[in-house]
Amino acid sequence: MKLALGVFFLPALLLSDQAGTSLGTSVVVARGDKLFAQGCAVGYCHGSAGAAARSPRLRGRTFEKDYLVKVIRDGIPNTAMPAWGDRLTDDDINALVAYVQSLATATADSLAPSETPSLAPPVAVKDSDVTPDVLQGRELFYDPQRLQRCSNCHRVQGIGTPVGPDLAKLTRAQLAAEAINALKYGRPRRVQGIVAKDGDRFPAVLIERGPVETRIYDLKATPPVQRNLPTSEIQSIQQQSGWRHSQAVQGYSTDELKSVWTFIRWVAERK
Amino acid sequence: MTRLFPLLLLIGAALLAQDGSTKENWPEYGGQNSAWRYSALDQVDASNVAQLAAAWVFQTGDNNGGLQSTPLVIDGVMYVSTSHNRVFALDAVTGKRLWSYIYELPKTFTTFYGPWNRGVAVSEGRLLMGTLDNHVVALDSKTGRQLWKVNVEDANQCGCNITAAPLIAKGKVIVGVTGGDSAHRGYLNAFDLKTGRHLWRFWTIPGPGEKGHESWQGDSWKFGGGSTWMTGSFDASLGIVYWAVGNPAADFYGGNRKGDNLYTDSIVALDVETGKLKWHFQQVPHDVWDWDAAYEIVLVDLPRKVLINVSKGGYTYILDRTTGEFITAWPVAKNINWIKGVGKNGELLGRNEPVVGKPKLICPSIGGGRSWNHGAWSPKAGLFFTTGIEWCEEVTAQAETPSEGKTFFGGTFKLVPTPDKKSGGHLGAYEPLTGKAVWKYEYKYPLLASVLATAGNLIFTGDAEGDFFALDARSGKKLWSFNTGSGHRGSSISYSVNGRQYIATPSGWGSAVAGLMQQFWPETEQFPNGSAVFVFALPEQKR
Repeated sequence: MKLALGVFFLPALLLSDQAGTSLGTSVVVARGDKLFAQGCAVGYCHGSAGAAARSPRLRGRTFEKDYLVKVIRDGIPNTAMPAWGDRLTDDDINALVAYVQSLATATADSLAPSETPSLAPPVAVKDSDVTPDVLQGRELFYDPQRLQRCSNCHRVQGIGTPVGPDLAKLTRAQLAAEAINALKYGRPRRVQGIVAKDGDRFPAVLIERGPVETRIYDLKATPPVQRNLPTSEIQSIQQQSGWRHSQAVQGYSTDELKSVWTFIRWVAERK
Repeated sequence: MTRLFPLLLLIGAALLAQDGSTKENWPEYGGQNSAWRYSALDQVDASNVAQLAAAWVFQTGDNNGGLQSTPLVIDGVMYVSTSHNRVFALDAVTGKRLWSYIYELPKTFTTFYGPWNRGVAVSEGRLLMGTLDNHVVALDSKTGRQLWKVNVEDANQCGCNITAAPLIAKGKVIVGVTGGDSAHRGYLNAFDLKTGRHLWRFWTIPGPGEKGHESWQGDSWKFGGGSTWMTGSFDASLGIVYWAVGNPAADFYGGNRKGDNLYTDSIVALDVETGKLKWHFQQVPHDVWDWDAAYEIVLVDLPRKVLINVSKGGYTYILDRTTGEFITAWPVAKNINWIKGVGKNGELLGRNEPVVGKPKLICPSIGGGRSWNHGAWSPKAGLFFTTGIEWCEEVTAQAETPSEGKTFFGGTFKLVPTPDKKSGGHLGAYEPLTGKAVWKYEYKYPLLASVLATAGNLIFTGDAEGDFFALDARSGKKLWSFNTGSGHRGSSISYSVNGRQYIATPSGWGSAVAGLMQQFWPETEQFPNGSAVFVFALPEQKR
């Protein structure tokens, strides 16, 4: 699954309605030029017509087609080059490849700025089982405008911190109807109470307890803090922390929690 | 200029009022939290600097993006961070490695804002660093053991990360975020130094119901940029944290964010305890040129408590730091055409905006009338030393629709010559209240390293071709230079151990602006990357 937030509302750089396979080369290159101007030449990236900026110069260089396809589709991990495979069609990628290859013989004089039309508004990806309610729940789950949000403690589809359980692995029983009550009133057993020797008391999820170091998630504040405490500084670890799940979701209304739950069900049922 | 006091009075008052100079240690990113980048050490001075020789060199082993950081030195230990969040603790006398730390990055993620790190903070036995995947980590500064780590916001969602050094103020770790060229809403966060627990957040873009929210059209506030990508300053006597807020997004297209777009391109003054806004000053309402107000904020008493902030648009702003009142603004670059000037109340005169679909000549270029590399304030000279860049661009704006966490530029640009065909860089010595340049040192390329001033009447910086050099603070005359083999994009410091003064500089070409230079100066593509710390001192018998 490489669903990321952008999957549902893609920047429609994408002109993905008509394809270029039957079009003449110059048309394909022209289309690649447009795509390049919109997605690759912008800001600090490859510069107008690949003239170089933060990212490498493409103008005046020769690249194998297969290499370009792979780099555009998959990106280059751990660099500034993103994967465009979830945002561009194969025809888009081929057009970009044709354009970048056309830059091999470009000179400084041919650096006239590309025609830069307005970008089309976002397009929704067709995904038959994504209902508006799922989408709304998803937005609430990851809502960046809230300091307290579900993804602070749950990692779903590659986004979030894995403090709490993996929601994609919820069982049928756990997906039962009273789930909203669990969100609002649950007292998860995995949250324990730590009493430190300096008098600090706080709810925490234990990651690993060793003779020298104890690794925990400290839940006293949002977002949770992964801490490596010297085991010798811990007075005791208590099963009851007093922490309730309601503390983590207090910014959400009941209706919003219902939406979130719809999204969680959708995730769990797709596994 | 009636506000200008006689120089001696000014110097005397500044020394009495506030001491932002460093001595044996270089404890903070900007020297002290007032960001002077001025060392009171004077063993190395204009009379003997020609004898300066290399004491040791440390190679970090990761030259991707060069070496852009400011080393810290505390009690004979140097801490330096590199690209990909690696940290080294070194013996500051010998360069011997005491410990190293390699942050565990996710297996796959993109570093749109670059792999570099510009510095760490050290306080109360802890070393703090922001990470490429948008976490803050605390290490034991004696051992490098990780103590805590907190995810500010998922980097895969926000498309943002942290490259700047944190600021430590009153037991709080205050840390900014990149994301100004993405569809993202910026913020500044404070964490507890000891536990990592979140203490406060200041949203650089006010939310619904908050004052300033009306300066954004529709939902544009959710994706309006306003990053905090450099390090702020702190005035303990006022209890105020100062931070400079970056550009609104999309950078070149403002058609769907009509309004002033507060608090982008603003200096914000925040209560250190609560993060609440005390005052703000917006340099560029509704920016459509990518002019951050992101750079350092230098706190100086003249004796009026002022701050100095150079903007990317090429103007140096002097504000009253108690009230935010505008005092004056003066240019650090000659080639500025996006406005005709700054009025007596700080208002912009004669805006020259990019247009959709049609190239327009804008000066300076997106790289700035100055880049982020910091200036220095010398109380001894009563002067502010900063670089400036002469270059232009052709901008073509394009309408763009935001997609969360994705790039959001709203246009393209290409570098073009200045109208007078004299593109390049310079370092100047300026009177802070008048902007009068006492001297200027010219260079054929932009100067992209920070400036260090010392009580030995010396100014240090480095250039693109690898020369690290010293100028006489009084005349700008070059007194010494040493080629480190790779260009300079970091920040030099001075410190002393056992009575011996050292000058240390990162060396290592790289960065976004260094990349941009290739458009205009193609030969710079061949300038080698590097990543090393060079340390210099007078030979033992000479001091």
